[in-house]
Amino acid sequence: MKRPGKLARVARRCFAISLAIKTENLSKIYSQDATGRPVGLIDLSLEVEEGQIFGLLGPNGSGKTTTLKLLLGLIFPTRGSGQIFGLPLGSNATKERIGFLPEGPYFYEHLNGIELLSFYGTLFGMGGSRLAARIEELLHLVGMWDRRFIHVREYSRGMRQRIGAAQAMINDPDLLFLDELTSGLDPIGAMEMHELIMELRDRGKTIFLCSHLLKDMEPLCDRVSILNQGEMCQSGAVEDLLRVEDQYRLLISNCSDELTQQLQTSAQHTEAVGNHFAAYYADQSGALAAAQEASAAGAVIEQLGAHHRTLEEVFIEAVGGEE
Amino acid sequence: MMRPILRVARATFHEAWRRRFLNGILLFAILIIGSSWVFAYLQPGAELQMIIDIGLGAIRFFGMLIAVFMGTRLIPDEIERRTIHTILAKPVSRAQFVFGKFLGGAATIAVNLALMGIAFYIVFAIKAPEFAAAKPEDAFIFAAMYSNIAKAIVLALFEIWLVLGIAVVASTLFSWVLSVIFTFVIYFVGQMSDFFQQLSDPGRGASQIAQVLLGALYRVLPHFEIFDIREAILQGTYTPWGTMLQTMGQGAAYLVVVLLIGYLVFNEREV
Repeated sequence: MKRPGKLARVARRCFAISLAIKTENLSKIYSQDATGRPVGLIDLSLEVEEGQIFGLLGPNGSGKTTTLKLLLGLIFPTRGSGQIFGLPLGSNATKERIGFLPEGPYFYEHLNGIELLSFYGTLFGMGGSRLAARIEELLHLVGMWDRRFIHVREYSRGMRQRIGAAQAMINDPDLLFLDELTSGLDPIGAMEMHELIMELRDRGKTIFLCSHLLKDMEPLCDRVSILNQGEMCQSGAVEDLLRVEDQYRLLISNCSDELTQQLQTSAQHTEAVGNHFAAYYADQSGALAAAQEASAAGAVIEQLGAHHRTLEEVFIEAVGGEE
Repeated sequence: MMRPILRVARATFHEAWRRRFLNGILLFAILIIGSSWVFAYLQPGAELQMIIDIGLGAIRFFGMLIAVFMGTRLIPDEIERRTIHTILAKPVSRAQFVFGKFLGGAATIAVNLALMGIAFYIVFAIKAPEFAAAKPEDAFIFAAMYSNIAKAIVLALFEIWLVLGIAVVASTLFSWVLSVIFTFVIYFVGQMSDFFQQLSDPGRGASQIAQVLLGALYRVLPHFEIFDIREAILQGTYTPWGTMLQTMGQGAAYLVVVLLIGYLVFNEREV
């Protein structure tokens, strides 16, 4: 499954764009630090289009959970405002259309899988055969059908995460808030959740992900915003953030001192990447020539091609290498 | 409107029965009530009075303890365990949540009191006829006791619901320890509200300030002593249903005000 291409993005811009989330200077100030700088979330202005997978990234204490709580109406802004589907934050009309999976979710321990989903379903006014069918569908979807009679108190972390995802989807929401979705899941479980998210996106759902697991976020998100110390320091389409214009990278190993000096002269810049040596060129021919030179000098060519950054690199650059 | 309230109440009720501490109080209360006839022998000639005093007193006291310790944890536990996040993210208003929590607690207390009441009736049915036979002049008092005890338990239920309401509201305002102390103080001071009225009487030489302060206390505090009809039972006085309804209505009105305050506070509370 691919992200919407350029055409889709242009089409969205040409036609009316519906926003799932919009915030303007949304702030939650808890206190001030020793330098007098406000601690909390500061002037967050976000726009998340319907049908997108949006990722909110940031180191611990950067304001991700505060943002989520503000959007869900669990806490109230110091200033600024926000809307979900054009409706005020925290209103019941808004909550009818959203689902929420908190980080490390906690549920009533005395309930089993079916009872738990039934509890949350009835909070939406669901009942009878409609709710029973929905519960069965969700338990199958998150791989908990065989364990449906086990009580929450006996759940592993992964099982809690799975049932948490199911309760978040009980009302078939248009917008899902997922905080650290894959936390506690094994690699297969994490992969299943990723597939689920893509499937939901294909069905037109909007997904708002909060995570610090950047490798998980990169293939999933259409757009990301990076928070640091309560402020948004980077935001944009993942494709745009990762692209490095006109840069080609040659990655080699077994590089002699003499070759290193030669490459340092010819390349735009060079760096050590683990046990390897990377040289960056503005044009393809320069990179190819350097590869031939390196090969002739006995070095091993590990990689040669257009350079893309990883989300991790973007993140580290944005937060100033603090994480 | 009512469905989320009832769902939250039901979950609260089930959660409450999993608290060993509260179950321990109930068990201890039943033990005290069950052995009340033994204590009755400590006061020869007043065995019937002793059974009533200890039995009904234990129901009120232990019921109050359960209300305080459960009520002050109903909402803070949800916040600390973060179960509140997934609930309030659903279309459940804060008013519905507070009322649902209270209703679940109230149902728990009703069952607790019913169990204590059954234990008391069993003891009473076994031992009271024996004590009454030894004192024929109290026969008419004894005859009215069965129905009067039921009335006393119903009034105790309203009283304890009121304590529960105060405990829930206190927990939205203060820390746990402070809310427990606050509820206890209100309960014990509320038992003496008539005393404040007497003290504020200018005829008894109350100063202007004392009149205002004590008068205000009398008006603001719940009048818990009106729920205690043990004296009337012991004197064989028939407690009319009109009086009962009036007392219950008074308790219910006070409870509505208390829960309204709780809602207003919780509506501004960040979770």
